[in-house]
Amino acid sequence: MGELAAWTAFLEASVRLGVPLGLAAMGETITERSGVINIGLEGSLIAGALGGALGGLAWGSAGLGVGAGALAGLLAALVFAAFAVGLNTDQIITGTAVTLGGLGVTGAVYQARFGATGTALTLPTLAPLPLPVLSDIPLVGPALFAQAPTAYLAYLLAPLLGWFVYRTEWGLELRAVGEEPDAAQAAGVRVRWVRFWATLFGGALAGIAGAHLALAHAGTFAENMSAGRGFIAIAVVVLGRWNPVLVLLAALFFGAASALQFFLQTLGLDLPYQLFLALPYLLTLAALAGWVGRARAPAALALPWPEDEG
Amino acid sequence: MADRLASLGTAVLALLLTALVTAGALLVGGYDPVVGLSALVGGAVGSPDVFLSITLVRSVPLILTGLAVAVAFRAGVWNIGAEGQLYAGAVAAVWVGLHLPDLPALILVPLVLGVSVAAGALWAWVPTLMKLRLGVGEVITTLLMNFVAIHMAAWVVHGPMQEARGVFPQTDPVSETARLPTMISGTRLHLGFLLALLLAAALWVVVRFTRAGFAVRAVGASAEAARISGRVPVERVVFWVFLVSGAVAGLAGGVEISGVTYALYEGLSPGWGYTAIAVALLAGLNPLGVVLTGLFFGALQGGAGAMQRNAGIPAVWVNAVEALVILSVLAVDQLRRRVDWGQLLEGGDGGSAVEAQEGSAGARTEGPAPQGAVRG
Amino acid sequence: MTPPLARLSGVVRRFGSVTALDGADLEVRPGEVHGVLGENGAGKSTLLGILGGTLRPDAGVVEVGGEVRELTTPRDAWAAGVGLVHQHFTLVPTLSVLENLALGHRQAAGGFGLPLEKLRAQTDALAERTGLRVPLEAQVETLGVGSRQRVEIVKALLRSPRLLVLDEPTAVLTPPEVDRLLDLLRELASEGRGVVLVAHKLDEILRVADAVTVLRQGRTVLEAPRSQVDAQVLTRAMVGADGARTLQRDVRAGTPKASEPRGEVEASREVVARLQEVHRQGSRGEEALAGVSLEVRRGEILGVAGVEGNGQRELCRILAGRDAPDGGRRTIPPEVAFIPQDRTHEGLVQAFDLMENTALTLQRTQRGRRGPWVRWSAIRRRTEELMDRFDVRAPGPDTRASSLSGGNQQRLVVARELEMAEDLVVAENPTRGLDVAAAAFVHGELRRLVSSDRAPGMVLVSTDLDEILALSHRILVLVRGRLSPVPPEEATRAGVGSRMLAGTAGDG
Repeated sequence: MGELAAWTAFLEASVRLGVPLGLAAMGETITERSGVINIGLEGSLIAGALGGALGGLAWGSAGLGVGAGALAGLLAALVFAAFAVGLNTDQIITGTAVTLGGLGVTGAVYQARFGATGTALTLPTLAPLPLPVLSDIPLVGPALFAQAPTAYLAYLLAPLLGWFVYRTEWGLELRAVGEEPDAAQAAGVRVRWVRFWATLFGGALAGIAGAHLALAHAGTFAENMSAGRGFIAIAVVVLGRWNPVLVLLAALFFGAASALQFFLQTLGLDLPYQLFLALPYLLTLAALAGWVGRARAPAALALPWPEDEG
Repeated sequence: MADRLASLGTAVLALLLTALVTAGALLVGGYDPVVGLSALVGGAVGSPDVFLSITLVRSVPLILTGLAVAVAFRAGVWNIGAEGQLYAGAVAAVWVGLHLPDLPALILVPLVLGVSVAAGALWAWVPTLMKLRLGVGEVITTLLMNFVAIHMAAWVVHGPMQEARGVFPQTDPVSETARLPTMISGTRLHLGFLLALLLAAALWVVVRFTRAGFAVRAVGASAEAARISGRVPVERVVFWVFLVSGAVAGLAGGVEISGVTYALYEGLSPGWGYTAIAVALLAGLNPLGVVLTGLFFGALQGGAGAMQRNAGIPAVWVNAVEALVILSVLAVDQLRRRVDWGQLLEGGDGGSAVEAQEGSAGARTEGPAPQGAVRG
Repeated sequence: MTPPLARLSGVVRRFGSVTALDGADLEVRPGEVHGVLGENGAGKSTLLGILGGTLRPDAGVVEVGGEVRELTTPRDAWAAGVGLVHQHFTLVPTLSVLENLALGHRQAAGGFGLPLEKLRAQTDALAERTGLRVPLEAQVETLGVGSRQRVEIVKALLRSPRLLVLDEPTAVLTPPEVDRLLDLLRELASEGRGVVLVAHKLDEILRVADAVTVLRQGRTVLEAPRSQVDAQVLTRAMVGADGARTLQRDVRAGTPKASEPRGEVEASREVVARLQEVHRQGSRGEEALAGVSLEVRRGEILGVAGVEGNGQRELCRILAGRDAPDGGRRTIPPEVAFIPQDRTHEGLVQAFDLMENTALTLQRTQRGRRGPWVRWSAIRRRTEELMDRFDVRAPGPDTRASSLSGGNQQRLVVARELEMAEDLVVAENPTRGLDVAAAAFVHGELRRLVSSDRAPGMVLVSTDLDEILALSHRILVLVRGRLSPVPPEEATRAGVGSRMLAGTAGDG
């Protein structure tokens, strides 16, 4: 019985750690499907974390905190989109600036509000919400269905976004914009518009992921708490081959890899703590090395459009 | 010639824009922009000692990482990993500096710097291979390597290289013979500053006047044309540029150890590798320009401390300002190129003023083409 | 009198300081095939943009079906009944034909799903009526150019346009496909639609048009029914009286003299390049070259004819040493001059100035370098000389390449490459997009070079049959990655054209 419990704990941790990554990655999937790569996702993530914390404190509700986080993430993405889509500036550099700015602004706002000491805040928690019946299923029940509501959002979004991308008019337009924007434009699609909304959507989801980090995961806000998850999310999009469902699965796989570190620690291995901290990044690198060759990115990804303005 | 003026104009406009927005943000935040700004300026150039010991010293890692980034970007290589390469260089430098105390300074100092160069190049080597052999875009890989480097440095100072006392997470200071001498006695300005200037000059000459430099520029501006018309071995150029970029960033780490801190600790770099992007862009990727912008950002960072102490504005604001600089450069650059200012100002037909010329590719400043960065 | 289907009156359109259209008129009647002729740069693409709703005129009136319309987006154009069939960039390669047809349709009013079944039914009905069949499930990138064009036409026809406008449709077709297309256009016109055919080649217009409009420098200089014009009248209208004189001179320089026998060069001449059973995979994994063999001698122009997409790209790059063959043997000189088809992305670095672009090749030579250093002063001088000799119109060698017109950019590329040519020149569609005078100039330079003392061998790979016929000593035809020679007596349009078809399954 003890082994079952251990496995359940492992699965539960995998899901819990994978959810924020999955949300951000699914958002970025939509963004990249439109041909835009948002390196500023990290900025949306940290903005969402702060937004979630501030919103939760202001209104005393974790749910509203998540909403505030979504808004904050969207605002960060708005800055990115205004430059990269509106002005057609270089997407990589713009994204880097937005991430830097996001870390700077959230740090500044945090310090202005709470001072520079960095003591933990007491935030309303986004508590796990076990689903009746489903959470009683042995092994997977507690792992999948006793999570914070944001996890359920992720479960719902994956197939929904998949259907959207592959089976609707809008999804077709999205894909066309990401592959051959000139063709999409000739067919009457408003390329910039589509890219704009795809980017904002991605930012909002990343904001929700950030809020989850603050309200469900850490229970507080700390500067730079996003720890590069936004970048890992971008790698996860590649691993999931720009397919929303596969992306979520890839994110959960990453959650498992992160959960592994606790497992290994309990085994009493005398490995340096920092190795575990570095593990997610090393794993991402390894996964990219093993997988990438076979996936094909949207053809127009990261390219300025129209070309002569770039 | 008009090109260079355009870049200078872009830089000036961008800085003005940044200053305006920052002042506005400070007001909104309830701070006094004038007090803040004067504290900043005072903390940067308030006195000769401040200038030499703080601003110039602070500018060295920025100039070096700025050069690293500029060289890479010039070839279209998106090296966002200068931060990690710097740490790699610092770790290597400290190791040598601690373990070979018996060597004379004339050998040890170059050795220390040499290993930091090698370590930086090595740190860039993995993303390079992944890009060239596996087609993995370097943006994500270099970013991930940054985190790995930071954790590696943290492990080193908590564990195997921790100071003998075992109290703080830092190494012992390196031996006297491993340290860069000061240039002006009484200040903290070390020889690394001169080294940075010389390197900038050398890179400028290479880029401008040598065939290798020309190949680098061609690859960055249009890898296709470089390959087809210039018969440039694009992959080879990318490989070497990437390694050189890592090497210079590694050098920044070594110089910082050997010239300023003499020991390694967590948080050695307040994000120099990322600031370097702003430094390089503002300089138009020109090595000589990097010296100027590196000095400027050195002043900013030097003054940030004073700003925090005297005006109560948290130093973390500087990060936001750096981001603003990058965005301003991008925006000004785009607006300058795409709007036909002549017609607009003369009040010509509004509609036509903002269109690109039919058939022409539009003026494009020399700079990287991002395709390779993501799809490899 | 029936009102015209479409009428443009006095249309003006500027781009910055360049006036692309300066009072253009066009009148198309129902049931007529209307040809619009003009040189490259005369304003044809701008006209198309205005008709198609992607550009707005600065002045002038656009009427469709007797009503004045403001066409500000492609959707407006469709709503007005104008269907534009583009040349490039309007199909998404990674999507299927059916998905491409569905794109932008918004047929399902407010619904979410894709109207695939409805589209299937519509395309079937269309196929019944016109004989136009397209493979609905195929991914567009697997289709040849001929098929892609048919998809474009179907796409336009599905919107039931009153006016069908085609942009240089025959450029990518084999002669039999051209016939099929022109018949189709006649058919569509007879249904009461208007068909506008925009081109710069005379003979196709002469074959099928009921009426002709000629643009020159943005103005309409001639509007007439077919019966009133012939090739001479049209050419004069296209290039103008002065232009005609310059053109005569350039064409004379570019055409072989009567005394100069065209035919093979002596077999004793040295072979400068040889390919034996060369294989090469294309960018999509297909077999682009399936065992090609050829020899090029000094002083000869070897013409390789063929429709785009049959392996020309790979052949050129392998001959020029820019790519390696996958199999077979290749012998080429160490330096090969190469005039690539894509001058914008492969021939020039747009962000560089002219001097730096010349340096792309020159810095590899003795003249342009001193050890590891670039001899900028020598390169600058040489660039000025080249600009002068090849008549590259630009303020100076410091001018940015992107600010030059297409014609001048091509002149620079040709100048730079021919300058380098020692043993072998590979020219890939060297006069594409050039006006007649510039094209004639390039032809003249190519001929002059091969008959000069240096006498390099030249491989001319072109989709322009006339160019091949005018310049080549020997002709080969490239079809589906295989080369076949054309005997001298069959070196005519018909002869070569029929060979271009041999081996294709009528699809291409």
